[in-house]
Amino acid sequence: MSDRMGRRWFLRGAAAAGIGTAAATTAALRPGQARAADAPPRTVPFEGAHQAGIVTPAPKAHATVAFDVTANDRAGLADLLRTVTDRARFLTAGGDPAPLGITAPPSDSGTLGPTVPADALSVTVGVGSSLFDDRFGLSGARPRRLRAMDSFPDDDLDPARCHGDLSLQLCADAPDTVLHALRDITRHTRGALQVRWRMDGYLAAPRPSGAPRNHLGFKDGTANPDASDARTMDGLVWVADNSGEPAWATGGSYQVIRLIRMRVEFWDRVSIVEQERMIGRRRDNGAPLDGDRESDAPRYPLDPKGDVIPLDSHIRLANPRTTATADQRILRRGYNYDNGTDSNGNLDMGLIFTCFQQDLDRQFVANQKRLAGEPLVDYVSPFGGGYFYALPGVTNRQDWLGRGLLAHA
Amino acid sequence: MIRPRMFRDRVAGRPVVAGVLALALSGAALAGCAAHRAAPAADDADGLPHTTVQVSLGRCGTGWSHPRSGVQVFDIHNASDAPTEVDLIDPRTQAVYGEVEGLGPGTTRPMQVTVGGGSYAFKCLPDDADAMTGGTVTVPGHAPAGPSAPAVSEQDVIPATIAYQKWIGGRMTVLAARAGVLKGDIDRGDLAAARRDWLTAHLVYETMGAAYDTFGAADGEINGTTAGLDGGVTDKDFTGFHRIEYGLWHGASAAALKPFAARLTADIGALRRSWPQARMDPLQMGLRAHEILENTVQFELTGRTDYGSHSNLATAAANLAGTREVLSGLRAQIAARYRALPQLDASLARLSGTLDGVGHGGHYPPLDDLSRTRREQLDAAADDAVERLADIAAIFDIRRTS
Repeated sequence: MSDRMGRRWFLRGAAAAGIGTAAATTAALRPGQARAADAPPRTVPFEGAHQAGIVTPAPKAHATVAFDVTANDRAGLADLLRTVTDRARFLTAGGDPAPLGITAPPSDSGTLGPTVPADALSVTVGVGSSLFDDRFGLSGARPRRLRAMDSFPDDDLDPARCHGDLSLQLCADAPDTVLHALRDITRHTRGALQVRWRMDGYLAAPRPSGAPRNHLGFKDGTANPDASDARTMDGLVWVADNSGEPAWATGGSYQVIRLIRMRVEFWDRVSIVEQERMIGRRRDNGAPLDGDRESDAPRYPLDPKGDVIPLDSHIRLANPRTTATADQRILRRGYNYDNGTDSNGNLDMGLIFTCFQQDLDRQFVANQKRLAGEPLVDYVSPFGGGYFYALPGVTNRQDWLGRGLLAHA
Repeated sequence: MIRPRMFRDRVAGRPVVAGVLALALSGAALAGCAAHRAAPAADDADGLPHTTVQVSLGRCGTGWSHPRSGVQVFDIHNASDAPTEVDLIDPRTQAVYGEVEGLGPGTTRPMQVTVGGGSYAFKCLPDDADAMTGGTVTVPGHAPAGPSAPAVSEQDVIPATIAYQKWIGGRMTVLAARAGVLKGDIDRGDLAAARRDWLTAHLVYETMGAAYDTFGAADGEINGTTAGLDGGVTDKDFTGFHRIEYGLWHGASAAALKPFAARLTADIGALRRSWPQARMDPLQMGLRAHEILENTVQFELTGRTDYGSHSNLATAAANLAGTREVLSGLRAQIAARYRALPQLDASLARLSGTLDGVGHGGHYPPLDDLSRTRREQLDAAADDAVERLADIAAIFDIRRTS
């Protein structure tokens, strides 16, 4: 636990113990405002040209849920998306749930106490290609690259945990906030949505610094493009006007979710040299094998035969750092998952790999093809996920997620 | 099947005994604290306006001196020596906007309400004493109020309960006849006929869900599962429809099933003979209006109660019919209190239509044979229905009105 988290939890504890509530509330907010620049703010604004939860900092708790839409028609789909928008607006801002008196059960589950804290919650909604079938009259509105997720040669996909009409990504400071939001949204959309698959995840704390580590013990996300640099994001993540995509899609982004099992028992039986050569980085501090520090950039031109960083290492294949591959970079937003055990007692843990990009084929798919057959594939096994299109943002109080899409003839 | 243990007891207009004692004790212990906490709470950690309201001997709801509309909290303090219920009502219509139940002496509890323009009064219902209504407070302006409904009293639901009880009596006659046919098949050794007649008998029982709690232990004997039985399907206490189902679909001989068939018809016969003396609690009506289908979601749409017949979908349809029977008796009362009744009707029609869409002429496929899309449609329809029926249970929680 970092100092930052420690202090925040301490203050929450003080508030819960009943030290003058008004004072405690104020105090609890102050460290949030004073936190380091990379820390997520306590309230992530819901409205904007783009949805939150894509380039906004990743807080530590997460759930990814894919749904199928069971609404009967286009009007039902519009109602559904308006309801999701309303709930997301409330949940991300926090506040007091509506009192319903004796006319209904309580409007809120109460798992976050009587007043819902924003807790850095973001709610990010994507649409899958199946939404553009004949049910809702949207077949002409499909983003041009959107399709059912490809099955790559190293995949072992379980159809029960693939695809979906909608994706919902929930991120917040704490798991109870994520689960509260999930319960709230599913409750308010009962009848119109059914969960297709779900995976909860968490972001590891920096150990001891830098990018968080995945279950293989390696830092993951070191080379991610700078999400705070708007120009880079415009070049890599956001779909712009006149991009060949439908007009409604401007401001959105292709979302790829891959549920990747990591065979950790097998991995732990591999020597450190072999582990590091498969990844291309040192395990202890995340430095590329030709560097000293995590922040050092690998210098592939000086190592053309891969004597130091093998040509088939993960980082070298994923991002060759050439001019030609610069626009193939993706914005990753991964979370570790831990899901109990296998039928043979092996630990079921891995990565919810999520990435956002402007062009599915130019970026994710090109990367994935380069990675085909990499040595790491013996230890990781993609088994689920899907391709989605993260909707453009909600720009004002009257706007709702998918309004532009549903306005499309 | 429906399991009575899932159902909760609620306070239905009768004095709470154990609860009152506990509250009185904790009230005494905390009296010092409570006096401090009862001081006017300014705008609290919830960010809402707070008003402290007093209840004392012969006085109900004093302290609301600056009425304003909007979402707000009344911190209700009971300064009397008896537990009380406190409602915020519209004194003209008696519609209830908010309630605090079982407010112990010396304690303070919040009532959060959305107040609109109009007139309001606090109504106190002390245990073992008559109700009293405090002074009317007029809130200026035309802001919309939060949802409200007139309280449902025991008297309001008694006619529907009696009518339902009579309907159950009629169903018992049919149930006894069909269980007799099943027993005849097994006695005769015709197991193919028994598998057919098992279903028709069982489905009658599955329409009677609002009465199971009144049946008492007989429900477990007639329709229990292996849950809670150490020996599972071989446990000596596993009897009734599901025990016979298990045998009929797992190669048991007629001779092995004969005692279970005899036991089933005997249990049903005993229940039927005792029914004229039974008295259903009116509280059951609203509660079961939602819990019958809650059980369908939990036990039928998951296949939990399938002991071989794969008849969960037929059971779900019988459960829906049983829910509709309960609702039909309450319909006028619901209409007077529940604005979303048309949406509830539509939701139940959707569930019914979805079941019809997977069944053909009353013959339903096994749950696992449904395509993913079909199953999602069915689950969504059932989930939508239980979400709405929960409101009926909330409104029909029996309350004192005088």
